[in-house]
Amino acid sequence: MVGTFARLGLAAVWLTSGLLKVVDPAQTYVAVRAYDVLPREAVAVVAGVLPWFELALGVLLLLGIGTRVVACLSAALLLVFIAGVSQAWARGLNIDCGCFGGGGAVAPGQTQYVQEILRDTGFLLLAAWLIVRPRTLLAVENRLAGPLVTSGSGGERN
Amino acid sequence: MGGADRSDRKRRQAAAEARLRAAGITPKRRGLGGLSGTSLVLTIVAVVVIAAIVVGVVVTMKNKAAETAAPAATYPVARSGAVITAGQAAAPVTVDVYEDYLCPYCERFETTYKDQITTALNAGQIKVNYHAISILDRSSTPPGYSTRAANAAICAADAGIFPAYHAQLYAEQPAEGSAGFSNDELTAKGTALGAGPGFGQCVAAQANTGLIQNATNTAAATPALQSNGQFGTPTIAVNGTKVDVNDSNWLQNAIKG
Repeated sequence: MVGTFARLGLAAVWLTSGLLKVVDPAQTYVAVRAYDVLPREAVAVVAGVLPWFELALGVLLLLGIGTRVVACLSAALLLVFIAGVSQAWARGLNIDCGCFGGGGAVAPGQTQYVQEILRDTGFLLLAAWLIVRPRTLLAVENRLAGPLVTSGSGGERN
Repeated sequence: MGGADRSDRKRRQAAAEARLRAAGITPKRRGLGGLSGTSLVLTIVAVVVIAAIVVGVVVTMKNKAAETAAPAATYPVARSGAVITAGQAAAPVTVDVYEDYLCPYCERFETTYKDQITTALNAGQIKVNYHAISILDRSSTPPGYSTRAANAAICAADAGIFPAYHAQLYAEQPAEGSAGFSNDELTAKGTALGAGPGFGQCVAAQANTGLIQNATNTAAATPALQSNGQFGTPTIAVNGTKVDVNDSNWLQNAIKG
């Protein structure tokens, strides 16, 4: 039950953030560039791929396909985000994380690094729950894989 | 692990399923295409994730100008006050570009469309009025890079190196919050592009600051250039009407009329 909530919650996070990024590519580019980590060419590629990657994670979680793997990918991505925000904070940059659209430079004093990191940490907990307990209700993989995971389950053991 | 072993296993499985059916239980299917459930799930995940990455890369490539053959600027440049006009005066379409040299969206605009614009300028299809705007002066540390860069760009127009200088300031655009290029650095870039000794004096004197301020105030107060009552950069107008440059066909549409 908790897992189902976590799965759908994380799906909503990725679908929302992916959609907001995909509809405004220039904004996404500026947001990624503002972290001041990657060369310009790489920024363009990351800004182009990231929204679609987030949408893919969102769709897979929504349907409940490969929940544990997708939760692992989600956790990895969230760790990258937290690292990005942390380095911006540590270097004294003044940026918005651009987590859900927006992003880019902000006035000094307008940064919200603590809130952004806490929020990502919350999402990370959802992912962690799903990695530990990927079994959820209303998941397509329940039909595909039988009683979840190992292919050795079911009739084979008899 | 011979075939016999596998068929034996299959037979036992079939028997097990038959027993379950007899007990009124429908055995779970083994997934499609002979894949076991887990492999099928992992395959779907891989396909979806890879498809997403491919879509992202394709979109990125499509938006990027064909860099293999970046056209060289062969168009004339004239200046009137803080407005630098690129292209032939008789060109049928007028594009007004309001840019701030520190604005990252302006860098995005330049990177995305500069080759298309250069080609259209060379062909005499359009002329472009570049308005030197400084709305981000407070976003550099110390403040004022927007104005200094705009001043240097005006100097570059007078020195006959505007197209290359303009392109370079965007290609190497400093980050918001940074110091930006010093006047010495702005001078060195122009000198490297062939500007004469007067260029450095022009950059250092910052004599165009008043012109830039006026141009900025005028643009910001022009309702036709605003979105929701706000003026921002980049703002692009075609024959006086603001256009949406998120539409990658805006220039082709402008040329077609």
